[in-house]
Amino acid sequence: MLSIASIKSRWTSFIGTFVAVFLGVAILSMTGLVLLSAHPTVPERYRDTPVFAQSPTVDQQDSMFTDGKPWSAAKAGDLVVAFEQIPGVARAIPDRTFYAQPVLGGDPVTDVDQGYPWSAAELAPYRLASGSPPHQADDVVVPETLGVSAGTTLTMLTAAGPAQYRVVGTVDGPGIYLSDSEAARMSPGVRAIGLRLDPGADQDAVQAGARTALGADGQVLAGAARAELEPMADQRVRWIGDQVLTGLGSLSAFVSMFVVASTFAFVVAQRRRELGLLRAIGATPRQVRRVLFGEALAIAVVAGLLGSVLGGVLAPVLGDLLISAGLEPRTFVVETQLLALAGAFVVGLLVAMAGVWAAGRRAARIRPLEALREATVDSTPMTKGRWWAGGVCSGIGLLLIGLTVLGDPEDMTTNSLYAAMALIVGSTLLAPVVIPPVVRLLTAPLASSAVGMIVRGSALTAVRRTASTAAPVLLTVGLAVLISGMVETSMGGYAAARELATRAVAIVIPNGTPGLSDQAATASPGAALLPTELYTDDRRHFPATGIDPAAFAQANTKLDNALDGLVGPDTAAITASAASQLGVRAGDTTRLTFEDGLLVTLRVVAVLPNSAAPTPILLPRKTVRDHAPTALTAAVHVLGSPPTTAPLGAQALDRAAYAASADADEDRLVRIFVALLVIVALGYTALSIANTLLMATASRITDFTTLRRAGATRRQVTLTAAAESALSVTIGATLGFLIALLALYANATGLSHHLGTPLSLSIPWQVPLTAITLSLALALTATTLPIHLSLRHRPLT
Amino acid sequence: MPTPDTVRLRSVSKVYGSAPRSVTALDSVTTEFPAGSFTAVMGPSGSGKSTLLHCAAGLDRPTGGEVLLGGTDLGGLDETKLTELRRERIGFVFQSYNLVSALTAAQNVALPLRLAGRRPRPSEVDGALAEVGLGARGTHLPSEMSGGEQQRVALARALVTRPAAVFADEPTGALDSKTSRDVLTLLRGVVDRHRQTVVMVTHDPVAASYADRVLLMVDGRITEELTGSLTAESIATANRRGTSC
Repeated sequence: MLSIASIKSRWTSFIGTFVAVFLGVAILSMTGLVLLSAHPTVPERYRDTPVFAQSPTVDQQDSMFTDGKPWSAAKAGDLVVAFEQIPGVARAIPDRTFYAQPVLGGDPVTDVDQGYPWSAAELAPYRLASGSPPHQADDVVVPETLGVSAGTTLTMLTAAGPAQYRVVGTVDGPGIYLSDSEAARMSPGVRAIGLRLDPGADQDAVQAGARTALGADGQVLAGAARAELEPMADQRVRWIGDQVLTGLGSLSAFVSMFVVASTFAFVVAQRRRELGLLRAIGATPRQVRRVLFGEALAIAVVAGLLGSVLGGVLAPVLGDLLISAGLEPRTFVVETQLLALAGAFVVGLLVAMAGVWAAGRRAARIRPLEALREATVDSTPMTKGRWWAGGVCSGIGLLLIGLTVLGDPEDMTTNSLYAAMALIVGSTLLAPVVIPPVVRLLTAPLASSAVGMIVRGSALTAVRRTASTAAPVLLTVGLAVLISGMVETSMGGYAAARELATRAVAIVIPNGTPGLSDQAATASPGAALLPTELYTDDRRHFPATGIDPAAFAQANTKLDNALDGLVGPDTAAITASAASQLGVRAGDTTRLTFEDGLLVTLRVVAVLPNSAAPTPILLPRKTVRDHAPTALTAAVHVLGSPPTTAPLGAQALDRAAYAASADADEDRLVRIFVALLVIVALGYTALSIANTLLMATASRITDFTTLRRAGATRRQVTLTAAAESALSVTIGATLGFLIALLALYANATGLSHHLGTPLSLSIPWQVPLTAITLSLALALTATTLPIHLSLRHRPLT
Repeated sequence: MPTPDTVRLRSVSKVYGSAPRSVTALDSVTTEFPAGSFTAVMGPSGSGKSTLLHCAAGLDRPTGGEVLLGGTDLGGLDETKLTELRRERIGFVFQSYNLVSALTAAQNVALPLRLAGRRPRPSEVDGALAEVGLGARGTHLPSEMSGGEQQRVALARALVTRPAAVFADEPTGALDSKTSRDVLTLLRGVVDRHRQTVVMVTHDPVAASYADRVLLMVDGRITEELTGSLTAESIATANRRGTSC
């Protein structure tokens, strides 16, 4: 009864909590829905084929998202024969994928670069929209959406380079289709065979038969399990999206809790008299605490319900955004699941309860006689609990800073983020200790003026109020500086490391294509890197690169071993760590499977330092090309003069430009991530600043009226209030900046250890400047506006 | 039914701060408030009269001596037990700020019962409000009532649990003389009709004249006790005498 009545009568104090929980739950339910929907689905291309055989999968523990070990063409052929003898199987269709990208108007068509054998169109099934199926090696069937009609000649990029194809038909689905024999030449290895069944066939019997025929050479998938056939590239994109969403969700939960906690701390400070009265007339400390919990719960229930509805509505929008940002596969669909909404709602309640916990403890300690006190002087701004909590949080923060510098580089970013969060909470708790000296320092020049004297005096007597208005600014500026600075510094770091590793004057990299064709790769003299994957028989896999040994040695600054022996089709140079993983030394042999499914015995001709090779295994370029006809060159480190005109689908960059852009794709994702986080953090704390200051100002109108009676002009009163908020913002910004700087410094030190290059801190100044300006503008508006309005109509008596 | 219990103070002291800058608000006070008596406590500012009332009512804890309600030593109770005792056996009226502004008059009156976990019968709350002459105003918020009406609501709340003792700290301090008389008459009625104990701090001799007994305090000690037939004049004279010496 009391909780509800008090919310009704002082709803302005609770707007902050309401909005914080509302937004928090909305963001959580939105991210939760998207996260839960982000699970593998049966690929569209395979939707109407009930049973599949899949080649053996490989271990994914390294988060590299590598596709399975392919069957060789011969093995696939044998399997097709065996499957087609199973009763009920109408046809067994091997699927192959390879690089094929049409060129229209002189430019490669973006996002249309996957080629398949024509028979695999049957798996969906996709049908001819016009024309006929491909038969000749240079026949091609293209999607009708490409806008090319049957009978025309089309330039198409394949791994070899651009070539002329004859469009013989168009299809009603995605993908480029070549004749089965041409597809088998492009990509001999097979990872999936689809089984089309006769009408009325017994699916279980077919599955059992297929399992017998397959033996240990893979697995049979049917129904929903066919989702495992999803390309690993899609899974990787989804994984990155998941990271962004998890970050977003946990950040918004943290900030919500922060806002609720500071709002309620304020509510308790404002209501000391009322709570004291309750204690006097017979409310036990427990009951006082329950009143606050009741208020928080009532607000959180309403805000949470509305928030989860909003989250449910916005989730598909976020899903579309993620798809267009490349953070989710194009097939992604957001499903509305009650579980995610309920989960977000419950988290919202817990966040509100956690936020009100400290305030409740403080309220329970209010003594009955406080009902008789009118002034709000903080007699004991620091309680024992606050000392403890502040000390523990700051301690954890510093410990994490240490871990960032010395610990596992994998956890570096997470550690520095958590370190900053812990330090932010710690310094907010310890603010009553830190603030008085800062206030004295900052207001020293103003102490002689009347306004300066009042500002100084009220900031010092109401330390907690000053602390709680400075806290959101601290959070915003701290997070903004930290997140943006971290990204900037680590990008600069990786770029520096990359730049140092090459002697090349220019680097040719793909432009609008997933990789360079052989023609683009050989147009410039230099070290071309042709990546591929090698597989062991025990589910492990090793990335490998095909190189020209002489050019590679010439371009690479970290290589001091001779690669002269790397010539024959059975030779390999491997890094020290790959050597120990494979259990081989120089001169030994090891057996590995290539992309075409063939098992090859390789002789180790050299063992290299780990940092000297882009991948654990180096092979002669010709070996890779022979076994992976559809592999694309990642980059060419140009040793002579750079090409004057870039080949089709390529661009040449000088060394510095390359260093800055090499991971452009990754960078783009990271930048989206940062932008999302900073926007959410800023939005939230803007809310919190406005909320706290509005509450503070409303409760101090009486103070300001007294000032007016004492002879202050309206201008002077407004100026006093404005100066007080400016002081709070300055304190918060200073502390937030220092904390972020500490965490950034730790991050940079850790990173430079990891990369072995000295590294300087870099902060994108526009981010903190925007954050501070925004905070200041909000703070000034939120204080001066209500004062201005209320003093205008308020008589002095 | 009210429990006729005596409130006893034995060598009660209250010292604020620590030596050498300590302030003694109560200096070893021993007295008692018998069941069914009406006592007024008077004295100049800083004489310790409010501190005496707060200690006797269990709102504040003395630094020495003991306070007993019936046979219970308030010093031996923890915060929760003390609060429960206050809720059930002691009523309280402050000079101002007695009511929770978010609640109506009836809700304010019902608050002690609700805090005790009871669902108040409407007759109980209405009865208490009728007793202070506000039977028709139960649904009004404090902000819609005059100062005198608010004090009467506070009195109704103090009486709704039928406490053994009602403590009032300057209950008429913020009221005009007409409204003061109404409130004092109500307090007198509490003693006469229900045999409840009333202890009231006041600086107004007229208010004190409604009591059976007047304690005069100076510097944390009881310097004089007036009983018998009390008039505003005789109290004022005694009070002046006490302050001047």
